[in-house]
Amino acid sequence: MSAAATIPSVGRPRRLGKALPGALWALLLLTPAFVSLASVSFYPIVNGLYLSLTNTSLITQEQDFTGFSNYVELWGDPQFWNAWWHTIWFTTASTVLETVIGLGMALILCEAFKGRGLVRAAMLVPWAMPTVVTSKMFGWLFDGQHGIINYLLLHAGLIDQNINWYGSTDTAMITIIIADVWKTTPFMALLLLTGLQTVPNSLIEAARMDGAKGWITFWYIRLPLLMPTLLIAGLFRALDAFRVFDLVYVLTGGGPADSTETLSTLSYKVLFSTLQFGYGSAVSTAMFVTEGVIALVFCLYLVRQIRRAQ
Amino acid sequence: MDESRKGPRSGSKSIGHVTIADRRQFLIGSAGLLGAAAFGAGTSLGIGRARAQSRAEISFASAAFFGKETFGDLIKAFNESQDRILVKNIELPPPSSSTEVYQGLVQQLARRTGTPDVFSQDVIWIAGFAAAGWALPLDEYFPADKRSAYFTGTLDACTYGGKLTALPWFMDSGMFYYRKDVLEKHGGKVPESWADMATIAAAAQKAGDIDYGYLWQGKQAEVLVCDAVEIITSNNGAILAPDGKSSLINQKGAVEAIQFLHDTLATNKISPKDVLSWDEEPSRQPFTSGKAMFMRNWSYVYPIAQDAKASQVVDKVGVAPLPSFPGGKSSACLGGYQLGVNANSKQREAAIELLTWLSSTEVQHRIALNFGLAPTRPALFQDAQIKKEQPFMASLEKVFTGATARPITPEYAKVTLALQSGISKALVSGNVQAEMDATAAQIDKIVG
Repeated sequence: MSAAATIPSVGRPRRLGKALPGALWALLLLTPAFVSLASVSFYPIVNGLYLSLTNTSLITQEQDFTGFSNYVELWGDPQFWNAWWHTIWFTTASTVLETVIGLGMALILCEAFKGRGLVRAAMLVPWAMPTVVTSKMFGWLFDGQHGIINYLLLHAGLIDQNINWYGSTDTAMITIIIADVWKTTPFMALLLLTGLQTVPNSLIEAARMDGAKGWITFWYIRLPLLMPTLLIAGLFRALDAFRVFDLVYVLTGGGPADSTETLSTLSYKVLFSTLQFGYGSAVSTAMFVTEGVIALVFCLYLVRQIRRAQ
Repeated sequence: MDESRKGPRSGSKSIGHVTIADRRQFLIGSAGLLGAAAFGAGTSLGIGRARAQSRAEISFASAAFFGKETFGDLIKAFNESQDRILVKNIELPPPSSSTEVYQGLVQQLARRTGTPDVFSQDVIWIAGFAAAGWALPLDEYFPADKRSAYFTGTLDACTYGGKLTALPWFMDSGMFYYRKDVLEKHGGKVPESWADMATIAAAAQKAGDIDYGYLWQGKQAEVLVCDAVEIITSNNGAILAPDGKSSLINQKGAVEAIQFLHDTLATNKISPKDVLSWDEEPSRQPFTSGKAMFMRNWSYVYPIAQDAKASQVVDKVGVAPLPSFPGGKSSACLGGYQLGVNANSKQREAAIELLTWLSSTEVQHRIALNFGLAPTRPALFQDAQIKKEQPFMASLEKVFTGATARPITPEYAKVTLALQSGISKALVSGNVQAEMDATAAQIDKIVG
C-alpha cells in the first residue's frame, strides 16, 4: 500500500464514530460474517430455487424462466416418485434400526466393565471409515458368488442356494440398508451414550431402593429422560440418511431396474450427467422440502415432549 | 471403461510460457510478482527458447491417458517439431471419471471463448457438442479421400447432421472372448450365431467343464447400453430410427435381442443372475480365474488374461467378433476418444494443423505403441512394428470393422439413462415387450 492511502485513514475512526449511532456500528461489524455466510449458504439455496423455475441446461444453452413447469413435470415423473419412495423407505428403515441397535449398544457401554474404554474406541471404527471403503467392503461381503455372507448362510443351512444380494430387486435395497446400519449405528450409540450419562445416578439408585428391576428402571426412568436426546439423534440421523448417495452410487448405481434409485443419485444423474440444471434443481428442491417436513415433524414432537416434561 | 489405464495423475501440468520481456523484468528484480515469475521463468526455459513471440498459441484439452508416456509428452513433441504453433496442454481427469471430463469440457466450451482450441471427446458426446454449435464442421479440411483411411463405424460416430464434426483418434469396442481349451471339447468352432453360442455354453455347463457359459454386463450403467447396442444391431434392430427422431427399441429386432439376454439368465441359464449387478471388472474376474467359457468385454481384458500373476487362463483365451442372429451381422459397440476443434477457436488454422498431426498415421502409430490404444486407421493394423509389439491389438482389425456407434443424438445423456433403466427393468421382470414399449415412449418424448 502506498502512502497516499494511509494518510486520510488516520482521522477516520473518530469522524465515523460521531456520525454513526452504536447500533449501526454493531451491524457494520456483523456485516463480514453475514456476507460470508450468505454467500456460501443463503445464495446457493436461493439460486437453486431460482434455477428450478427455469429450463437452464448446459447442453441446449437455454436459460428461460418457465415458472412452475419443472414442478408440474416432476409431479408426473414416475422416476422421481420411485426415487422418493425408496429414499423414504431407506431413511425410515435405517433410522429405526440404528436407533434401536444404537440404544442397546449405549446401554451396554454405559455399564462399568473391564476394558470399557477400549470397547468404546473400537466401536467407532466403522463410523470413522470412509463410506466408499465401506461400500466396497460390503460389495465383497455380499458378493453373489464369493461373498462370505452367502458362504456362512449356506453352511449354516439357512439358505439352499446363493442369494444374489444386490443383483436382485428384492434384496438390493436391504443390502444397502444393512451396510448403512453397520456403518452409522456407532454414531447413534455415541450420541445416546452421552444422553444416558446425563441421567442422574441418584434417580436410578432411588428406584432400586423402591424395588424396581432393570427393565422397569429403563422403561420408566432412563428412557423418558433420554427422550430429547433420542429425538435429536434420530433427527440428525434421518436427515443424514435422507441424502444417502455414496453407498448406492458405488454398490448398485441405482439398479437393478431402478430398485435402489434414491433422490440423491437421481438428482446427480439429472444435474451432472444430463446437465439439466433447471430440472435437476427442481429435484433437489423437492428433496429440500421433504427434509424440511421431516425436520418439522421431529421438532414438533420434541417441543411437545419437552413441554410435557415441564 | 479401462481398468488397466487408471494410473495416478501425472505431473504433466502445462507450463505457461513466459516471454523474453517477462524474464528480463525478473532479472531486473521487480519484486512484485517474484514467486510466480520465478516459477514460470524457471520452467519455461526449455520450451520458450524458440521464437515464442511469433508462434500462434492454442490449447489442447483431453482426458488423461497413461502408458509409457502421457498426452503432455505428445504435445511437447508437437511443440518441438515445428516453430509456428505453441500448444498449451490442459489435462482433464482420467477416462475412468468420464462424467467429470464431460463436465469440464462442457463448461469450457459453453463459455465460447475459444479455449480449448482442440479437444478430445468420448464418442457419445460428439452429437451433443455438434448440436450446441461448439464443434467446428471439418468437411472442408477432410474431404472424402482423406476420410477413407479410417474405419467407417468410427466416421459414422464422428458425423452429425451429415457433417463431420470430429476426427477419429483411437478406439475400442466390445468383443467376444472364449476359452480355447473348453471350446476344443465342444466342437472347437467359435460360434457365429447367438443360438449356437447358447447351445455350446449350456452343454459345457451341463457337462461340468465350466461354471458359467456366458458372461456379460447387466448393471444399470452405461455398459448395459453398450451390450444392448451390440446384440440389437446384430439382429438388424436399432435403438433410434435413422433420422434420430423416434425410438425403435420396441420393434421386433430389439425386443428379440433383449429377450435373448433375459433368457441367458432365466431360461437356458448360461449366465449367473449376478450379471445384473456386474459391470466390466466383476464380469472379468470369473473369466480370468477360469470359471467361464464365453464373455463379452473390452480389449483391456486380454493383457490381464495373459498375465500369469492375475490370470489362470494364460494362453487359453481367444478373441473373436461377437455372434449375431440369423440374417444379422456381428456388431461391436464403439468406444474411444475422438478429436474436435472448438468452433469459437481464434486460431483455426493452427488448430486444424494440431488436429491433423494428432490423427496422423505417425502419431496414431506412436499412441498404439506407447499407450496401447488402438488406431482408427485400418492400415496401421498391418504395421510390422505394431504386429510385433502389440500382437493382440493387431489381431483386432476384424472386430473393429463391425464397430457400431451408440445412438447418435444430442440428447444422448437423457436417452442413455432411459435405456439403462428400461433395459434393466426388462431383464429383471422378463416383460420385455411391455418394458420396451414404455422405454420407447419415454425416448420418443426426449428426442421427438
